[in-house]
Amino acid sequence: MTQEVIHVDLPARPPTPPASPPSYPWLGRERLAGLSLVVFGLFGLWAGSDLPFQGEGGVGSGLLPRALSIMIILLGLMQIAVTWNDRAETTGSWPIRDMLPVLIGVFLFAITIRGYDFGAFSVPVLGMAVATPLSIIFSGIAAKDVRYGELLIFAAILTVVCIALFRYALGLSLAVAPWLIGY
Amino acid sequence: MMAMFEHLGLGLSVAFTLQNIFFCFIGCLIGTLVGVLPGVGPVATISILLPVTLSLDPTGALIMLAGIYYGAQYGGSTTAILVNIPGEATAVVTAIDGHEMAKKGQAGLALGLAAIGSFIAGTFATIVIAALAMPMTKLGLLFGPAEYFSLMIMGLVLAVVLAHGSLVKALAMIVAGVLLSCVGADMETGRERMTFGLQMLTDGIEFVVLAMGVFGFGEIFKNLADPEKRDVMRGTIGRLLPTLKELRQNLGAILRGTGLGSILGVLPGNGAILAPFASYALEKRISDRPQDFGKGVPQAVSGPESANNAGAQTSFIPLLTLGLPPNAVMALMVGAMMIQGIVPGPQVIQNNPDLFWGLVASMWIGNLMLVVINLPLIGVWVKLLKVPYRLLFPAIVAFCCIGLFSISNDAGQVIMAGILGLLGFALYKLQFEAAPLALGFVLGRLLEEKLRQALIISDGSMTTFLTSPLSAVLLMIGLVALIIAVLPSMRKSRDEIFTD
Repeated sequence: MTQEVIHVDLPARPPTPPASPPSYPWLGRERLAGLSLVVFGLFGLWAGSDLPFQGEGGVGSGLLPRALSIMIILLGLMQIAVTWNDRAETTGSWPIRDMLPVLIGVFLFAITIRGYDFGAFSVPVLGMAVATPLSIIFSGIAAKDVRYGELLIFAAILTVVCIALFRYALGLSLAVAPWLIGY
Repeated sequence: MMAMFEHLGLGLSVAFTLQNIFFCFIGCLIGTLVGVLPGVGPVATISILLPVTLSLDPTGALIMLAGIYYGAQYGGSTTAILVNIPGEATAVVTAIDGHEMAKKGQAGLALGLAAIGSFIAGTFATIVIAALAMPMTKLGLLFGPAEYFSLMIMGLVLAVVLAHGSLVKALAMIVAGVLLSCVGADMETGRERMTFGLQMLTDGIEFVVLAMGVFGFGEIFKNLADPEKRDVMRGTIGRLLPTLKELRQNLGAILRGTGLGSILGVLPGNGAILAPFASYALEKRISDRPQDFGKGVPQAVSGPESANNAGAQTSFIPLLTLGLPPNAVMALMVGAMMIQGIVPGPQVIQNNPDLFWGLVASMWIGNLMLVVINLPLIGVWVKLLKVPYRLLFPAIVAFCCIGLFSISNDAGQVIMAGILGLLGFALYKLQFEAAPLALGFVLGRLLEEKLRQALIISDGSMTTFLTSPLSAVLLMIGLVALIIAVLPSMRKSRDEIFTD
């Protein structure tokens, strides 16, 4: 039998320290979860409040949404009740600011791939050649250990790969760079 | 019995064409790739590739997508064993003892046993599918709207019972999923529901968008907020192939895992996800030295891995015979079939026997390929694991954006997925499971359609669900399962299985 020897050396990350309990019991994870369900259910009730309960042949388009919304509210109240006496556990940090670059990247992709008219100004159709690197670079900034040079080169290579793969190999009708090559 | 082998023969003749072998290979390769890479799963991958399948032949497209699914199950175990991160959710169990084995220098043995176990499980599951296909299809043809409705209710209840963690939360997620599926034009009256006049909501939320948002972007947000703890794995992988003695010691575990997985996978409501946990608990119970579990026992890797793979494969049964997707990946398969103009359900086996049996047979071929892809090429996958996350996730973002846009050349879908990603992150923070949400969403539209049809047939009488014996039995099973799950004694043993 041959001895296959492959050396492995993979990165390690230090374990995160245990989090402290929340400052206020309603911010505890379980109770917050129940609360969110109640809010979501109420929102569903409001959103479907214009729909008829009864339709022709029995079920109207409003029956199911309303019934489900009420169920969600009840389940939310149940969740709060069941976990009432549990020790509140924190949900940890919500680093929305760290995620923002990713959302911006996604948004920029959406408005540049096919152009977008904002009324006051409009974005022309910039195609994949612009939209793809924008999404890669902006989301890449979100990483705490970002290296800009590496990211730029990576974005350039991946853009070429994506265009070759999706447009040419797989034949999707995506605009590549209408401002440069006409399609 | 003979008919089964005739069918498999037909399937093999379809699957063994050069084109389909190629698609199967591509699927397995992509599947292993996304399985190995933590942070990108089969759901997001299949979502991205869904628009692409439009230009392929239906059989080839489904063979490829199926390959991605079970390939990811294989790849997930590699990451679990080497880095102690489950590359896929179902590899959580493998990570426990598999990584301990790796620390002891037995990584190769763990990988080898996982692959061999998975292959045996895959072979057996293929036969199970072939054997169950005809009877299940016949059963499916007996189903009217009322029976379908009850079956879905039972499936959703089972999904709650089988889900991890809190029952209330799982139930809430399913209901929320069904509610989200109501958004958009009412299919009967065309009336807009809960769209707030937003154009991108008029046609409802596409499942692909929900999947990429919650499972794709959500996962990225999660990893940015709480970076995964990676365990060091230094040293050698060691011998990959087990000796005959080691194989004999593990054969029992592999067969038991295969059996468990095959049964659980057939259940509507994603029983497959429970399979590795159940197998681990079983192996621990019958072991002579249960105290060693968690410290690197080979049976704790081979059993759950076999169960996982068997369950992944038999979960095709409800989809292919009844048209009911038991999990998110199967729901995407529904989408892939619809794109090709094939309505999933009992009629597929009659109208498209080539496709049906070809797909089933390709699973066995795919399993064979996976052993080849995974074992000798393990070095390649290890190198891939070194790709830093800071480069990996921007690539995922870009792929998701392109995939989302190409669904319908609509930039609104891209933005909607970004917003759903935030929802996915909130769910993670509040410890809600996203899987029941996806299942509820998938079954939601079908559920309402069947409910309405059944009530129209019965002139609005709700008793139709109880007067049909089949429907009543299905509802009873669901009710009993729910009661058993709420009983304090069962709750305890259920929690034990998951915490083990």
